[in-house]
Amino acid sequence: MNTSNYQLIIITLLSVAVRSGTVILFPTIGEIFTERSGVLNLGLEGIMLISAFVAFIVAFYSNNPYIGFLIGILTGGIISLLHSYICITLYGNQVVSGLAISIFGSGFTNFYGSNFANLKLDNPLKSFPIPYLSKIPIIGQIFFNQDIIVYFSYILVPVMWFLLYKTKIGINLRAVGENAIAANAMGVDVYKTRYLWTIFGGLLAGAGGSYLTVGYAPFWMDGITAGRGWIAVALVIFSMWNPLISIIGAYLFGSLDALQFQLQVMGTKIAPSFLAMIPYLTTLIIIIITTVVLRVKRIGVPKELGKPFFKEEK
Amino acid sequence: MIKVIKREKIPQKLLIIIPIISILVGLIIGAIAMIIVKINPLIVYKAIILGAFGSWYAFTETLVFTTPLILLSVGLIMAYKISFWNIGAFGQYILGAIFSSYFALFGPQNLSRLITLTIMVLLGLLGGAFWAAIPAFLKTYWDVNEVLSTLLLNYIALNILRYLMYGTWKDPSHIGFPLSRRFEVNAQLPRIIPNSRVNLGLLFGIIAALLIWFILKKTKFGYRISVIGGNPIAAKYAGINVINDTIICIMISGALSGLAGMVQVSGVLHLLQIEINPYYGYTAIIIAWLANLNPIVSIFVSYFFGAMISGAYLIQLTMKVPIGISSLIQSSIFFVLIGSRFLINYKVVFEKRSKK
Repeated sequence: MNTSNYQLIIITLLSVAVRSGTVILFPTIGEIFTERSGVLNLGLEGIMLISAFVAFIVAFYSNNPYIGFLIGILTGGIISLLHSYICITLYGNQVVSGLAISIFGSGFTNFYGSNFANLKLDNPLKSFPIPYLSKIPIIGQIFFNQDIIVYFSYILVPVMWFLLYKTKIGINLRAVGENAIAANAMGVDVYKTRYLWTIFGGLLAGAGGSYLTVGYAPFWMDGITAGRGWIAVALVIFSMWNPLISIIGAYLFGSLDALQFQLQVMGTKIAPSFLAMIPYLTTLIIIIITTVVLRVKRIGVPKELGKPFFKEEK
Repeated sequence: MIKVIKREKIPQKLLIIIPIISILVGLIIGAIAMIIVKINPLIVYKAIILGAFGSWYAFTETLVFTTPLILLSVGLIMAYKISFWNIGAFGQYILGAIFSSYFALFGPQNLSRLITLTIMVLLGLLGGAFWAAIPAFLKTYWDVNEVLSTLLLNYIALNILRYLMYGTWKDPSHIGFPLSRRFEVNAQLPRIIPNSRVNLGLLFGIIAALLIWFILKKTKFGYRISVIGGNPIAAKYAGINVINDTIICIMISGALSGLAGMVQVSGVLHLLQIEINPYYGYTAIIIAWLANLNPIVSIFVSYFFGAMISGAYLIQLTMKVPIGISSLIQSSIFFVLIGSRFLINYKVVFEKRSKK
């Protein structure tokens, strides 16, 4: 192979990495906001799985991936409403509720999905090269020859960063996550804030799941999310609850995912199961390192994370 | 107006009523799920009950499914008592199966059955304890979130198993699905009911449940576990070695999951394969909570879930109803259970609006 061939492989690999990263980027950003409000949603894996399934079914029958994507997002919002109700209104245990959602997701999709196994979408998302930008050598091919949902994620990240750090909404949100009693005293509605951002997180988890089956891998397979929801939760720690940093984590995971897939396709001597292990192993190592760094730098988890807020009636 | 206030005393009646109602609601949600796809839930539930208890064989098969669930849920109870969110029974189970299978497949074949099985049991315990020790050390020394570490280790364990089964551990004489060589009789746990797959593992499970109940209720170690579980910082000030106790507790938790894996390969399958059902590790989480973290109650809850899984396997074969219905019902039960714990800790009172 000559150099241009290598270049082509690397460009293809990285453009796949961006799409794979987008699947993870949405739920990671959503979970950052959910956790910032003090609610831990470990149901991401289940939400992504159900949304991926619903999006696939809708896209399959309507032959329109965008409708599938939107309905998939809504599905994520509805499931997270349930999580909100249990954790916020009923003061339920957040870890346990999230796990229940994830187990439910695998049961639900296995039950309803068995007739759709290995079916493909005839009409998945298409790429729209952005004029001029996509002509930039290498970078243009990797970042600006993608589908609309990837472009949407490019806009979402800075917008959410701005919202979190530069607006009143963001200040209130962070206040609720750091000290709910004080926020309540300041007149912020803790329950409403938590509901809002938990549902927002669910919508974005739904977006990630839906993008998986209408864009990145437009077919249905039992357990298609393969732990991406858990990896998103892990990447929230890596991001230090900052939407901008989450891009690095998501694209890193995307690159590993694309790489292991590419290596399998190319037929290396490395066993496929060993390659499949790499993203999880890397994520584990990443959360170990980040946790240690966070401790040294004294950057903390949102202090109210996982704690129900009980408004005492006076 | 409606007011929510904290209860001062937990009503004991609710602790029994809530799980039962949760189960009923779970079954109703399952029924609705079936009606949506035009499956008659009554026929399915009847088939599940028959599949679980309809004959002597069905009954023994239910016990076969119950066995790993007891070991796994009892192990998880240890972890949850110390407030360590071990979600890794899945991976610990796999490691237990791998460790014990290693000896069965590659160890000396001329040892007596008692010695071979003793070593395999120890290796099963060790495999699970080893896999649980990783998140335990990470949590206690570096504060690494154990939910994530145990979960990621599940995926890693599953891929290790796949790696071995598609690689050197695969029996070359098998074509198609990768299975290991069959274990010699010396490496098979004795069956305790003739003409069934019920094996010594069931006794291991019951003994483990009694033992863990004893440890938690009657020993100083058990008392320290509940203190640490309640408030680790207070425990530290009370002079408890939180790190040591946590690591030991979690290693015991993992060891029991590992033993469940050993029992599955040595007692039920007599070989190692990819389909050893590590998903029981997730079911066991639900069992542990439904049993209100009581090891003895978890024996009975495991039996109920064993029946459901056993019946669900049968209806998948005979009626083509996907096995997912079983985890759909299980998780619905779980939801209702968590939601209604609210009623245990709080009470809702209706009162006339008082003057401000």
